Amino acid sequence: MNLFQPALSTFASDVDNLVMMITAIVGFWYLATNVMFFWLLWRYRAQEGVKALYVTGHEPELLRWITYPHYLIIFMDLFVIVGAIKVWYNVKQNLPEPQEVVRVVGQQWAWSFQHPGADGILDTADDIKTVDGLHVPVNKVVHAKLESRDVLHNFSIPVFRLKQDIVPGRVITAWFEATQAGVYDLQCAEMCGIGHGLMAGRIYVESDEDHLAWITANTPK
Amino acid sequence: MRVDVTSHGGAILLVAAIAAIGASLTSCMSTPAAGSPDEGLALFEDYCAPCHGANAAGQENIGAPSIASLPAWYITAEVHKFRDGARGAHFDDIEGLRMRPMAAALQTDGQIAAVAGYIAALPAARPAPTLKGDAEKGKVSFGVCSACHQADGTGSEALGAPPLTKQQDWYLARQIHKFKDGVRGANPLDKTGATMAPMARTLADEDAINNVIAHIQTLGK
Ligand code: HEC
Ligand code: HEC
Ligand SMILES: [Cu+2]
Repeated sequence: MNLFQPALSTFASDVDNLVMMITAIVGFWYLATNVMFFWLLWRYRAQEGVKALYVTGHEPELLRWITYPHYLIIFMDLFVIVGAIKVWYNVKQNLPEPQEVVRVVGQQWAWSFQHPGADGILDTADDIKTVDGLHVPVNKVVHAKLESRDVLHNFSIPVFRLKQDIVPGRVITAWFEATQAGVYDLQCAEMCGIGHGLMAGRIYVESDEDHLAWITANTPK
Repeated sequence: MRVDVTSHGGAILLVAAIAAIGASLTSCMSTPAAGSPDEGLALFEDYCAPCHGANAAGQENIGAPSIASLPAWYITAEVHKFRDGARGAHFDDIEGLRMRPMAAALQTDGQIAAVAGYIAALPAARPAPTLKGDAEKGKVSFGVCSACHQADGTGSEALGAPPLTKQQDWYLARQIHKFKDGVRGANPLDKTGATMAPMARTLADEDAINNVIAHIQTLGK
């Protein structure tokens, strides 16, 4: 069994690798401090005839034990900061040219989608409007124009490692490029009221032929 | 004070306290058993009252109509439609999309029947009018409607036509618009809605809608 959701967008593994690196660094220090802590507790436990030492925290030979690991942690932070900025830039700030633009409308408590249809242009007569299901082509850069009809929502597609807040009154553009055809879950990831837990949908990632067939079958007459 | 962890009295007291808290929590959280007379009330308070109000008299700011004293057969039918996507699953049906997950919160047919029975037994809300129309003119166009909704607006179970005298006028107007625009009653699963949709188109404009509603407001008084 796979413990994790598969990584199915161009940037999904970058996000995973960043999380793994942070987990490894933080995990190392977590274990190191705990081993040290419990060892010290055991090693210097109350002993017959030994008087406890009063430590002010200013003794240089003791202070070293704090400052040296501290510098090491700051050094390792550099890796986290550089990694995080790279991922943030790639996912959130850099917008590759779109090959398909869709509109995603969140509301209490449903997802509605507007697809550009055969002409590839939004807000024309051949647009396909759906509820619950978003259809996109595989291996294409898709821009999703995120809008809300009421409160804050969050457009989240776990297999893409994509998560973007939706703010009423604004149009926020998220992007992704799916790397494998299939049907995947999407969900609201921002508490938005009594029906938040029921605010789910599906994304249908389709090969070019399947996508075209879907457009042909669903174009409004 | 020193806590003596070896005291049996203390341990027993602690266990008893935890058990008592647990018992009181489960008793106030669990819904009454299926089929019990309180089941409908409990489900209504948990899942319906937040929008339709404690007396099921509706809340205009949410778009939730008064449903008190609607017949149980109609409530059951509509909740099933919302659940199955026959109603409230259209891109432009903002209020219907809001109601839909709430219907999905009811899990069994027994629960739907229990809630419907409870709401049907509530006294009608008799909401005050908010629209202005000419009831005399409306009476003429209501001739068509009376074939199904009956001359006194009480509806007909055999035809699936609900009473129109229980809901607010803004709600009735909104539904007529939805039927006209193909937002309600256009889904292939919605058999009874399909009989109503062409009837809404007999009302040519805003005035005609307001007039017929003004007439409906005079019924059942
Ligand atoms: C989140 C708010 C909300 C909750 C909670 C809610 N409803 Fe609704 N309900 C609505 C709205 C909004 C509409 C109007 C839909 C429309 O305009 O088409 C509606 C419509 C209805 C209708 C249709 C009325 C008619 O005349 O056709 C029924 C029946 C109904 N609700 C029953 C229920 C029941 C039963 C529950 C509890 C299980 C419930 N609702 C919980 C918001 C809610
Ligand atoms: C052929 C029978 C028929 C005729 C004629 C008819 N209706 Fe209806 N009407 C229905 C049915 C059936 C429904 C319930 C649809 C559903 O189950 O969703 C309905 C629903 C409605 C509703 C929504 C009620 C609610 O609680 O959501 C309104 C409003 C309404 N009708 C108004 C009218 C008006 C006004 C006319 C006359 C212009 C009219 N109807 C004529 C069959 C009819
Ligand atoms: Cu949401």
